Amino acid sequence: MKPNWQAFATLLFAALAFSGTTDAVDGGLINTNAIRTIDLRSLPAVTEQVGVVVQNSHDSKAAKTYSVYIPHAKADRLAKVTVHERKSGAELQVSKMDNEHLGNILPPQPIEYRATLLQPLQPGEKISLNIDSVYLNTVEPRPKVVEQTGDQTWLWKDDACILSAYPINKEKTVVRTNGEIKAYSQIKESSKDGKSVTFGPFINGPSPNGPVEVRFRDNREQLEALTHRREYFVSHWANDLNILEHYALRNRAPALEAFDKVKQTMSRFMKARDNFVKTLLVKVPADARDMYVVDEIGNVSTSAVTRRQRLDGDAFKVMQLKPRYPLAGQWNYTWWHGYSVPLSNYLRVNHNRHALRVPFIGSIVGSASQKEEIPLTAINTHNTAVNAYELRITLPEGATNVDVRVPFDVDSIRQLPQSYYFDSSGRTVVVIEHANVAPSAVDTHVLVTYDYSVLSLWQKPLVIAIVVFALFALTSLCSRMQLGLAAAKPATTATKKTQ
Amino acid sequence: MKVLGLSAVDQTRLLRICILGLISVVAIGSRLYSVLRFESVIHEFDPWFNYRTTKYLVQHGFEKFWNWFDESAWYPLGRVVGGTLYPGIMVTSAAIYNALHALNIPVDIRNVCVFLAPGFSALTAIATYQLGKEVKNETAGLLAAAFMGVAPGYISRSVAGSYDNEGIAIFLLVLTFWLWLRAVRVGSAMSAAVCALSYFYMVSAWGGYVFIINLVPLHVCVLLAMGRFSNRLYVAYSTFYALGTLASMQIPFVGFQPTFTSEHMAALGAFGLIQVVAAAYYVRARVTAVQFRAFVGCAVVLVAALGACVLVVLTMRGAVAPWTGRFYSLWDTAYAKVHIPIIASVSEHQPTAWPNFFFDLNVLIWLFPAGIYFSFRELSDNHVFLILYSVFAAYFAGVMVRLILTLTPIVCVLAGVAVANVFEAYLSRGSSGPGVAQVPRAAVIGAVLFLLCSFQWHSSWITSTAYSSPSVVLASRGPDGSHHIIDDFREAYYWLRRNTEPHERVLSWWDYGYQLAGMADRPTLVDNNTWNNTHIATVGRIMASDEDTAYELARRHDVDYVLVVFGAMLGYSGDDINKFLWMIRIAQGVYPNDVREQDFFNAAGEYAIGDTASKAMRESLLHKLCYYRFGEVMGAQAFDRVRKQRLPSSVSLHNFEEAYTTENWMVRIYRVKSLDNFGRSHHEAAKFDST
Repeated sequence: MKPNWQAFATLLFAALAFSGTTDAVDGGLINTNAIRTIDLRSLPAVTEQVGVVVQNSHDSKAAKTYSVYIPHAKADRLAKVTVHERKSGAELQVSKMDNEHLGNILPPQPIEYRATLLQPLQPGEKISLNIDSVYLNTVEPRPKVVEQTGDQTWLWKDDACILSAYPINKEKTVVRTNGEIKAYSQIKESSKDGKSVTFGPFINGPSPNGPVEVRFRDNREQLEALTHRREYFVSHWANDLNILEHYALRNRAPALEAFDKVKQTMSRFMKARDNFVKTLLVKVPADARDMYVVDEIGNVSTSAVTRRQRLDGDAFKVMQLKPRYPLAGQWNYTWWHGYSVPLSNYLRVNHNRHALRVPFIGSIVGSASQKEEIPLTAINTHNTAVNAYELRITLPEGATNVDVRVPFDVDSIRQLPQSYYFDSSGRTVVVIEHANVAPSAVDTHVLVTYDYSVLSLWQKPLVIAIVVFALFALTSLCSRMQLGLAAAKPATTATKKTQ
Repeated sequence: MKVLGLSAVDQTRLLRICILGLISVVAIGSRLYSVLRFESVIHEFDPWFNYRTTKYLVQHGFEKFWNWFDESAWYPLGRVVGGTLYPGIMVTSAAIYNALHALNIPVDIRNVCVFLAPGFSALTAIATYQLGKEVKNETAGLLAAAFMGVAPGYISRSVAGSYDNEGIAIFLLVLTFWLWLRAVRVGSAMSAAVCALSYFYMVSAWGGYVFIINLVPLHVCVLLAMGRFSNRLYVAYSTFYALGTLASMQIPFVGFQPTFTSEHMAALGAFGLIQVVAAAYYVRARVTAVQFRAFVGCAVVLVAALGACVLVVLTMRGAVAPWTGRFYSLWDTAYAKVHIPIIASVSEHQPTAWPNFFFDLNVLIWLFPAGIYFSFRELSDNHVFLILYSVFAAYFAGVMVRLILTLTPIVCVLAGVAVANVFEAYLSRGSSGPGVAQVPRAAVIGAVLFLLCSFQWHSSWITSTAYSSPSVVLASRGPDGSHHIIDDFREAYYWLRRNTEPHERVLSWWDYGYQLAGMADRPTLVDNNTWNNTHIATVGRIMASDEDTAYELARRHDVDYVLVVFGAMLGYSGDDINKFLWMIRIAQGVYPNDVREQDFFNAAGEYAIGDTASKAMRESLLHKLCYYRFGEVMGAQAFDRVRKQRLPSSVSLHNFEEAYTTENWMVRIYRVKSLDNFGRSHHEAAKFDST
């Protein structure tokens, strides 16, 4: 019988196509040991590090990738995932997968990230990996309402088992906090050691099965920026880079039971602590000038700026913004502030090609301190989580061939046309949007390169000069025209007075 | 002699343009003190409403603005905004805003609003120049413009941030008067139509247009009575009245008022009169003297009978509107105090004290009569108008403080005329003589110049000290002379804006209504558009009632928050306790059985707030909200810094809870508690909790 080659080929193609689209997780891997460390010491960011020992138990096939699952419940709070090889410390390339369905996991399904191993893992071999993920705002205040000067207690809650694409032989979870542990889930394998709680090790999951929680005290400030928009305006004429930041901020602390002005006045007088965030610290470059702080109804006149400071070889100034009212737990405040810096510090020019390198995001720190002068070290505590971030870079009129580089994946990068200040042909605005900005993004930069010719520099003055000249010419023409039928009478004052 | 290739005439013209430019710069510059001292912020109360409506116009377009029903004001009644305002100022700002945006200049609408009045003050100076030129010559015009640019009487209403109707209306007032005088002189329908257009703009901008529509007909009548009828006058007035009235009726807030209200009857009458007179002149030119006499006799009887009949019919049908209260208070200064407390409670409706005239007009107040004298000496049609304007404006300025504003332009023009006459007499080219003969001339000119300089100095000083405070932001000086900003109002308003639900209603005295709507963006029960006296009286009654009654009333009106202004910590005397008597009086007018003014004075007849206060005072909601727990921070022996009285020793409050109090305790916001879960009264619940 003659084999039906045609049907066979079709089948083969279908199989190939199928394997291409499903892009299945590399089978045969096993996590022989997993230790998860949850760091709650720099809230509102929660850092999870999972150290795994991975073994390829497949008979013949080498594994090229390792998949990381992010539980669906936490997926929209995820700020960052990185995977490192533990021995060499090398970072692996991680990409987000948009699989339609993942194996046999019931919905809601997790999000898959896939790390490419440096060398394929041969059958029987082992490798140690560190999976670091950062989440924002996953810890909630419990109780939700406290007294004005009461302690803030927070609740961490998660599955006791680590979610992985592969079977786990043995696992353990360690939760580290910064304050007194008030309570934690009493299961067989849980234990407390000072400020940290350990769940595990488990061979076959905890008993009883289900989520575990830790309640702990942490009186430090936690804020979240519901929206944050940073805008850069580039002006070649004035050698000026203008920076404008819009914030909608909320204090994450538990809500106030009742506002008590008398107590507030007293604790201010006694320099005692309360849960009001009174000052917001913004780090600005040392050569920043023309600073202002405004909200929807005008200047916020209670702000100050420190002299040039130096910390760890880094020179800067600190804007101390005092909101119109102290921010109690769950209170909101919205405002914007801005300043200018010399453009030449951020711009490199090579013939017509311009390269603008600016910070991706600025940091803001909330402080509940009663002191007038906040200690300088406070500036490096990242206690504000940015939920929705937008970065806008307005390039000068005439900039073309715009290219944008961001050192990590962002949700979207767009280029919009926009017109400002007598623009005739309009300019390009680079808009970058990103949800859940990891604290480490503070030290990263965006690189925007564009072509900008000398002629573009003179475009605006030329256009304005031509328009003004045209207006003069027009008025000159009009004044020389005789609009009436009769010749104009010479102006005399004799006809003016009524007799 | 030629300079820059220009002839002498052109040189003077250039010089004049330069001077006018400089006057404009000074006029704008001196109004910027408020921005320099404070910031670019909208001032006071009414400007906040104008600003809010302008923002609405810019965001939603003209049609939506015209039909805007604002449900957040006068809860639960609402307000038809489009039909109850003069839209001129908003439309002007929106036009400027849109023009700038068309040129790709991304200006903020707030800045357009803040700088609108200073910008228009420059235009006012130019219009005053034209008026002065019209009645005398260019010298008088320039002097008048210079006076107008810096006269404190006008600056008081047009500093940067004072975004109110008057900011553009004074320009339109002067412009309309200039165009009117020009129309009378030229006598063409064209110039009268231009005047009517300017009048239309004025009607759209300010209720003070009534002044124009009475003064112009008066001018016509007086000219007729003086036997100065001319075809020019006839054409000017007929065109102006017909076009102007039709145009003014296009403003919804004015509507058909020009046809039936008493304020507009003079214009209608003058229109009729000038037709009759014109007819008479026409007939006389064609018949003999005897026939004419008979004709006039018949006509007078006929017209009088007809007029009387129409008047009777209209009055019987109620078509002629009754005289309004504010109009009465123009004639009888004691009227408001007795009959309408809500008008009397506004400080700018008080009669003017003599020092105010000097404060606002300084040397002009002496030059003004001199100007009137010169007008009489050379009594042209224009000068008749000036005299009429000065007499009436002077009277009204004496009745109501804020009407100094309408007096200022004529004072400036007449002062300009007076000084121009002085210059004419002492600087004329023909009288050059030997050196010694020049001494008196130099002395007189020197004295006048000194006077003018001192006026400028006075104006700047007054502007910077008295008229540049936004009143939303207060300033105080520390003992070391440091400038300290007190920003409690915005602190409270912004707290409301950010930390309450958008639908939650805030109850406060009507003074803060516009600011609450503008800065806190929350619904209010009453505001500065005091159209519903009963509603205001209800708020007054809530403030004056005891806690339980107030709680019931507040809940019945869906109130979520109560806001009070309290100055005892800082010594801010414009607080609610000092306004309390007006609240009580207004409430008593509507609820005489529930609120009585005499209950709030103690046995000794004093308006006390401490432990010696009357029972009604101590139990009133306002008193409790203000002094609740205040004594705890101030200590047992503390004083109220405004009233200079000992504080009450204990204040209890159960139905309301403190929601926010500002830094200096100036604004206190309370939440109206929801009903107790167990159906108890809040007093019982508090008692139970404390045991």
